[in-house]
Amino acid sequence: MAKIGVFICHCGENIAAKVDCTKLAAAMGEHPGVAVSVEYKYFCSDPGQESVKKAIRDNNLTGIVIAACSPRMHEATFRKACAEAGLNPYLCEIANIREQCSWVHTDSDMATEKAMDITRSMVEKVKRNNILQPIEVPVTRRALVIGGGIAGLQAALDIANAGQEVVLVEREPSLGGHMAQLSETFPTLDCSQCIMTPRMVETAQHPKIRLLTYAEVESVDGYIGNFKVRIRMKSRYVDMSRCTGCGDCITKCPAKKISSEFDCGLGKRTAIYTPFAQSVPNMPVIDTASCIYFKNGKCKMCQKSCQLNAINFEMQDEFIDLEIGAIVVATGFQIQNTAVYGEYGYGKFPDVITGLQFERLASASGPTAGKILRPSDGKEPQNVVFIQCAGSRDPSKGVRYCSKICCMYTAKHAMLYAHKVHGGKTHIFYMDIRAAGKGYDEFTRRAIEEDEASYIRGRVSKVWQENGKLMVRGVDTLLGKPVTVVADMVVLATAMVPQSDAKEFAKNIGIAYDEYGFYNEAHLKLRPVESSTAGVFLAGACQSPKDIPDSISQASATASKVLALFSKEKLEREPVIAINNEATCAGCWGCVLACPYNAIEKKDIRDRSGRLIKQVAFVNPGLCQGCGTCVSFCRSNSLDLAGFTEKQIFAEVMGL
Amino acid sequence: MITQERYRTTVKELLANGSIKMAIGYRLGSTPDRRRPLFIRTSEEADQLVLDSTCMTNLSGYLVTEGLLSDEKKVGIFLRPEGIRSINILAAEYQLNADQIVIFGFDSTGRDVRPLDGRNVGEFSKLLNEIKEHPLQIVKEPLHWRIEKMNAKERFDFWQEEFSRCIKCYACRQACPMCYCRRCIVDSNQPQWINTSSHTLGNFEWNIVRAFHLSGRCVQCGNCDRACPVNIPLRLINQRMANEVLDGFDHFAGLSPTQEPVLASFKKDDTETFIL
Repeated sequence: MAKIGVFICHCGENIAAKVDCTKLAAAMGEHPGVAVSVEYKYFCSDPGQESVKKAIRDNNLTGIVIAACSPRMHEATFRKACAEAGLNPYLCEIANIREQCSWVHTDSDMATEKAMDITRSMVEKVKRNNILQPIEVPVTRRALVIGGGIAGLQAALDIANAGQEVVLVEREPSLGGHMAQLSETFPTLDCSQCIMTPRMVETAQHPKIRLLTYAEVESVDGYIGNFKVRIRMKSRYVDMSRCTGCGDCITKCPAKKISSEFDCGLGKRTAIYTPFAQSVPNMPVIDTASCIYFKNGKCKMCQKSCQLNAINFEMQDEFIDLEIGAIVVATGFQIQNTAVYGEYGYGKFPDVITGLQFERLASASGPTAGKILRPSDGKEPQNVVFIQCAGSRDPSKGVRYCSKICCMYTAKHAMLYAHKVHGGKTHIFYMDIRAAGKGYDEFTRRAIEEDEASYIRGRVSKVWQENGKLMVRGVDTLLGKPVTVVADMVVLATAMVPQSDAKEFAKNIGIAYDEYGFYNEAHLKLRPVESSTAGVFLAGACQSPKDIPDSISQASATASKVLALFSKEKLEREPVIAINNEATCAGCWGCVLACPYNAIEKKDIRDRSGRLIKQVAFVNPGLCQGCGTCVSFCRSNSLDLAGFTEKQIFAEVMGL
Repeated sequence: MITQERYRTTVKELLANGSIKMAIGYRLGSTPDRRRPLFIRTSEEADQLVLDSTCMTNLSGYLVTEGLLSDEKKVGIFLRPEGIRSINILAAEYQLNADQIVIFGFDSTGRDVRPLDGRNVGEFSKLLNEIKEHPLQIVKEPLHWRIEKMNAKERFDFWQEEFSRCIKCYACRQACPMCYCRRCIVDSNQPQWINTSSHTLGNFEWNIVRAFHLSGRCVQCGNCDRACPVNIPLRLINQRMANEVLDGFDHFAGLSPTQEPVLASFKKDDTETFIL
């Protein structure tokens, strides 16, 4: 005979303001099988939980229903309370009468009715709940960090410094990511490479970090603590065990006019190249699309120049299979293709450049050795116009969100320009100055007050060329009239967008993403660095636009999550897994195909003499994630999901 | 008649030399245009074999009778092209080993019966692909045209009317070669998802479940249609589902013995967002 306890939480006013909890408690008290039905202001509080435990012990309850907030909030809390009171934690169910009832309804009577329906259906379910035991799975203590930008480096170093193994995968030939491209960093104006390169070297030399550059994650299988990851090592055509990074091959390479990705097209590189002088590892790769040998079958100048025979044109892609316990995704961002703004003339006028190109001009390691020279004629520009939100906060052509870093880097650009070109003038078209952060507002004020950046609040409608000058037509909304500024160079603060293959990659490793392709966190406020998939964590700009301090904080946060996971020998998993009824299974293997986790195997059923009678499906409890895909596929209803059995769901529906 | 005689001889030969242990064919039924299944184990039984244009039933369902194929000996069977597709599906769903099946293929136009070349299911793949590319122009009965012209409401009313006659005898299930489950969902009563009584709701539930379980698997052999004692045009429902699956997924049921079931397979590069 069921003895169910129903505990109705007011959640302060959150539930009680709309749902008549007294009426609900009385109605539930009369429902068959309910032994206790009480209400309280906050059941999640310490006295609240104590009262639940006392009720379980005093009445020998066989199951409880907490009518309160979403199970995502406090299911774990009340399961723990159950266990402490000696009741199996899986005999606790949450009736969500807050998010799914009181918060979304205005009519009090009808909300109370609905709360009764929801609670009653959970009472009916819990009557049929079974005792379940959590599943224990071993943890592989090795982390995979995907992306060798500042976020990936930080996460890798933090995990490795705590003594755990890390594999760092970077798809470019060198570590560094976008931060290596920057000149100085706000708000302190320290040189980006000066603070970045020591981290790169530390990572490469760390005994706990295995560095795989020019490599991509091919596939991810498995689950938290037990991922199986396949890495494709793209062929560099340079034998890393022989190469010393002397650079002879680079000097000899005759294909010298290739636009450099690292310099955003402002500089040139050779076909065999390292992206930048401080590359880690400092070993070149051959870009087969530009290499003369790969195009014409003749040349091999690099091979001839190499004294160590490190160059191998026959090299093939290789695959590495790894056992991984946790994954940090730090795949970063790219800047939006500014060609969508035809009116700004990007691509048409050489002196209209992006913010990232300006970084390369201002960088000491850049194509102009740090001199601000305009791309068209190499002259020093005397008037520079910066256009903020060239893509961000623009639902019509760009993206709806704020790219977060542009206000700060535009102020920084104006400062760097003022420091390098003393007589120069800067105009900045802006929508709002968003400088929230430690030392950020002071920084933008400094740009205005000390470095005389002239901020014009308004948008730019058109940029055109006249007599060798760029004419920028915009509006000054504070004056309320249109303005035209004559400029030698225009810098666009382009939007930060996800990597072009972000969505594909997310599908490959099984994490969720938003409409743009930024990766979704498990909870925006409470679990900001965890992805929707257990054991996969998010760091840096792959989740949303971020500046360096934010990326680093998030990376360290993922490291702490990974280390917490690695602190245990074994993981406890929810016992919500599929179970097969071998008597009725027809062995059609539809479930084997349908299972996205490869968790279903074929099992032989033999008689006493060992003769094979039939084969049936068997669900591996270690691999099953409890998604229920197989259950919905099974035509004979042989598969069922523990914790959500057909019987339980049926009772739940009928309880409504 | 020539086809029939030739096949009788073939069956006798194969039985005599032990190539097959049994052949499943047709014999005369209770009325002139009805045929019954015939299980031929001996030369005498082979003389009862009838093969003419009224041999409509898709016999492939008899192959999954428990124990029939477990001795790994071969069984011959008379099949129309739809029946051959059934063998492919049953093989794809691991209910039988296609190499154990010796096919005596035939087809008919009007009253003429002609044999189809081939014995193993693989030898018919060209024929089946042709059928996919050029689906047989099924002579659309007036009912078909009527339903196509209906709007959703009229169609619903029409089927409600048809299903109201259903007596839940499950003859459609018993006749279908695809309904091989050891326990059908309607026989599961813990919980009883589908109402057993034959009122409109329960009848709808059963027929919709049946349509879904057969989508991507039905070969339009018409066994269900002919088995229905109250003449519900069940074939039209399955025909429609087959068209949906063909249009939506380019899936033509029973093309090969390794074809993946359409409702159980997915591609990771699917453009829909529900594939993570």
